[in-house]
Amino acid sequence: MSPHLILKVVAKMLIPLIALFGFYVQFHGDFGPGGGFQAGVILAAAVILYALIFGVDAAKKAVPESWIRIGMSFGVLLYGGTGVATWFLGGNFLDYTVFAPHSTHAAGQHWGIFAVELGVLCTVTCAMLAIFYAFGSRIPELSDEDW
Amino acid sequence: MGSSPELILNLGLMAMLIVVAFAVVRMRSLFAIVMLQGVYSLLSAAWFVSLDAVDVAFTEAAVGAGISTVLMLGAMLLTDRNAKPISVRQKMGPFLIVVVAGLAMFYAIGDMPAYGDAMSPANAYIGAEYIEATKREIFLPNVVTAVLASYRGFDTFGETVVIFMAGLGIMLLLGLDGKAGQWRAKPNGRNICTSSPPARKMASALEAPVATKKRTVKKATKKPKSKTAGTKS
Amino acid sequence: MNITSLYPQWVFTHGPALLVVLPLMMAVITALLPSKNAVGAKLAWLFTLGTVVVCALLAFALLMQVISHGPVSYAMGGWEPPIGIGYYIDALNAPILLLITVIGTLCMIYALPSIAAEVEPTKRALFYSAFLVSFAGLLGMVATGDAFNVFVFLEVSSISTYVLVAMGASRDRRALTSAYNYLMMGSIGATFFVIGIGFIYMQTGTLNMIDIARVLQDGGVDSRVTKLAFAFIVIGLGLKLAMFPLHTWLPGAYAYAPSFVTAFLAATATKAALYLLLRFSFTIFDPSWDFVAKSLMYLLAGMGIVGMMVASLQAIFQNDIRRVLAFSSVAQVGYMLLGVGMVTTLGLTAGYLHMLNHAIMKGALFIAVGAFWYRFGITQVSDMKGLGKTMPLTMAGFTIAGLSLIGVPGTVGFVSKLALVRAAAENGWWWAVGVIVVTSILAIIYIGRLIEQAYFHPAPKIGNKTVAKNEAPLAMLIPLWILAISAIVLGINAEWTTSLAEAAAHVLSGGPIVEFPHAVGGH
Repeated sequence: MSPHLILKVVAKMLIPLIALFGFYVQFHGDFGPGGGFQAGVILAAAVILYALIFGVDAAKKAVPESWIRIGMSFGVLLYGGTGVATWFLGGNFLDYTVFAPHSTHAAGQHWGIFAVELGVLCTVTCAMLAIFYAFGSRIPELSDEDW
Repeated sequence: MGSSPELILNLGLMAMLIVVAFAVVRMRSLFAIVMLQGVYSLLSAAWFVSLDAVDVAFTEAAVGAGISTVLMLGAMLLTDRNAKPISVRQKMGPFLIVVVAGLAMFYAIGDMPAYGDAMSPANAYIGAEYIEATKREIFLPNVVTAVLASYRGFDTFGETVVIFMAGLGIMLLLGLDGKAGQWRAKPNGRNICTSSPPARKMASALEAPVATKKRTVKKATKKPKSKTAGTKS
Repeated sequence: MNITSLYPQWVFTHGPALLVVLPLMMAVITALLPSKNAVGAKLAWLFTLGTVVVCALLAFALLMQVISHGPVSYAMGGWEPPIGIGYYIDALNAPILLLITVIGTLCMIYALPSIAAEVEPTKRALFYSAFLVSFAGLLGMVATGDAFNVFVFLEVSSISTYVLVAMGASRDRRALTSAYNYLMMGSIGATFFVIGIGFIYMQTGTLNMIDIARVLQDGGVDSRVTKLAFAFIVIGLGLKLAMFPLHTWLPGAYAYAPSFVTAFLAATATKAALYLLLRFSFTIFDPSWDFVAKSLMYLLAGMGIVGMMVASLQAIFQNDIRRVLAFSSVAQVGYMLLGVGMVTTLGLTAGYLHMLNHAIMKGALFIAVGAFWYRFGITQVSDMKGLGKTMPLTMAGFTIAGLSLIGVPGTVGFVSKLALVRAAAENGWWWAVGVIVVTSILAIIYIGRLIEQAYFHPAPKIGNKTVAKNEAPLAMLIPLWILAISAIVLGINAEWTTSLAEAAAHVLSGGPIVEFPHAVGGH
């Protein structure tokens, strides 16, 4: 029998909830506290919890290392790309109003904020995982007595 | 500073922060220090909530108490379980700096606006304009998000790049597979260095396969004629 | 002919933002390039070089625009400052932008062979990406007109720089402790700086530089909070620019970083920090306030003088070539601070001029030292024996830059030292003139020591055979000689650089800038 049965069962129940909470924080950030930074950290925490309980190798199967560099870069590209898009639409850098210039309730701002927050989410999640993987891959297996 | 229960709460939280900070400084067990740093973050998050800075509190709780603790544990496991004691002489410099900086801040308290003063510049000028303008221009209930992502969106872009850079730096220095740091730089021409610094000598002695690639290199570096190499600095 | 007419109009409206955004976006794209094969690394180099060249052209256009039409400003996100973040380029920072981008271009040419020898093949794409981030961070720090945005880009450039320095570990493991040292000192500096910004915000309620200056002028400054803010900012920036007692991170970082990184950093990083110090001390705070004038005169000039003496002496006793040059950098920062500390137009012109000239000399010197290692694995002074015969062209470039550092007439070093001496004499600071002369003699000793090794010793022998001549590759010689020749050309005809420095000093001595310029960009 696995030595950490209770931990594993509880973690399996918690991890989806943590991820869900992360997405809630992301998409509800316009209305309540939270945003890309916090959501990214929470999402990364879900993966890290998985890695702590089931091992780094299992986590790397779920979220492969090759995704990290891509996700990290994609986030900044999405953020900067939003700004570049505003340039091409004739505004200043990151001037979101050009997305919907005639909107009466600042829809352009909403779209812009949505996009850049998504970019932040990607970068933060992947960078946190990069740091964790880099340390986690180097740590030798610990026996329980070591603690 | 609001009603008195709030004052007591604030004072209590601050007292606990100080106690934890002292404990972190005094302790030698790295595991305990990492855990206490998590406690410190959680306490400051609670304090931020009582200061009505919920977004900051949220970030502090998620980053400071959550991820940082795990990462610090990971780093600790790679090094040691206990910190080496630091001599008093080494502590004096940082201690003096902290005391002077702290005293300077206390000196300035006299001219600072009262906490929560609605007429203080920080609350009355641009801050008030943000609250006013967000309703009119962005139509978002959370002013913090509006400021972070739109009014000061370029700052947040920079911060995102900082995070990206942190990940990139980790990939460059440690690699994600735990195998980085083996590669050795090699001059393109012929190494004629006769007085290599002590560290290099040790490195080349330890990593014989790398150094023996060029026989001349090994000969040259092994010769103990480093009269000039006695680096004092 | 008006060069600015050759550029498309959007360069002048969106240039300030593009200058920072372009390298950042390219950094990310470079990081995505395949790292497993050599093609990816080559491509990364090409992308980076292209980006840096475009940035140099942009910076040049902006400088021309500033000279002919006055300050350029840009409202990020379309939000006019002080609500939004404003970028603001005037005669004070435009030359520094050009300096950073031009040095970046030269260093990128140099990087092709240098990085091939010093950085692991699979990491090259990521390395170039980190370089671009650092490059963009420096540009952002200099171009922005927002005090908090300065901090953000200070962090962007610092964090990437720590990593770049640590990459020297594949040459010498001491790069890791040096990078750690730099990280610690740099973080303390950044913390001091951001606390200072926090106090400014507490006092004024705004973060835009022009707006801060306006509020401070209106509201009187006799507040302890303002004084403390100034003190914290000066200390924070002092750490970043290696002001004398706060310079301890610099020798290690310069000595063990990859050659390419050292060359780029030595020529740009401390300059960007010094620019910020000028910006904060003169156009945000005001030297007509007693505490600002006193700290400039006693702290900066005082520390500058001490640093000139002590660091020059230390440079004489170093065994590592790059440590010699690093301590010399600390001493040269002292010259610049001395000029700034005089708080006269002449002094500021001299300090600013020395900042530009020093970048040229130190860039050339570190590029040459990197070439010595590239061909012969040389890092120590005693190994330089016979370099005049084994690498004549490289050594000649090194010598020209070295003579310039001493201040031999006909070189840029002479021009700025003369300007400094004249400024000190005008101020009646005869002791400062004496110190400049003494430290120049010390420079003769520490540079002369290197040149003596190279020219007055026979080429070294391995076994019985004399080491054959092995000149540095063209990609190293070209940037080295461009810098060496400009050290002479700008030394003989210093009109252009002097006019830039005078324009910058004019901005500085004009008192705080409290009015927003007519926005060229924006709505």
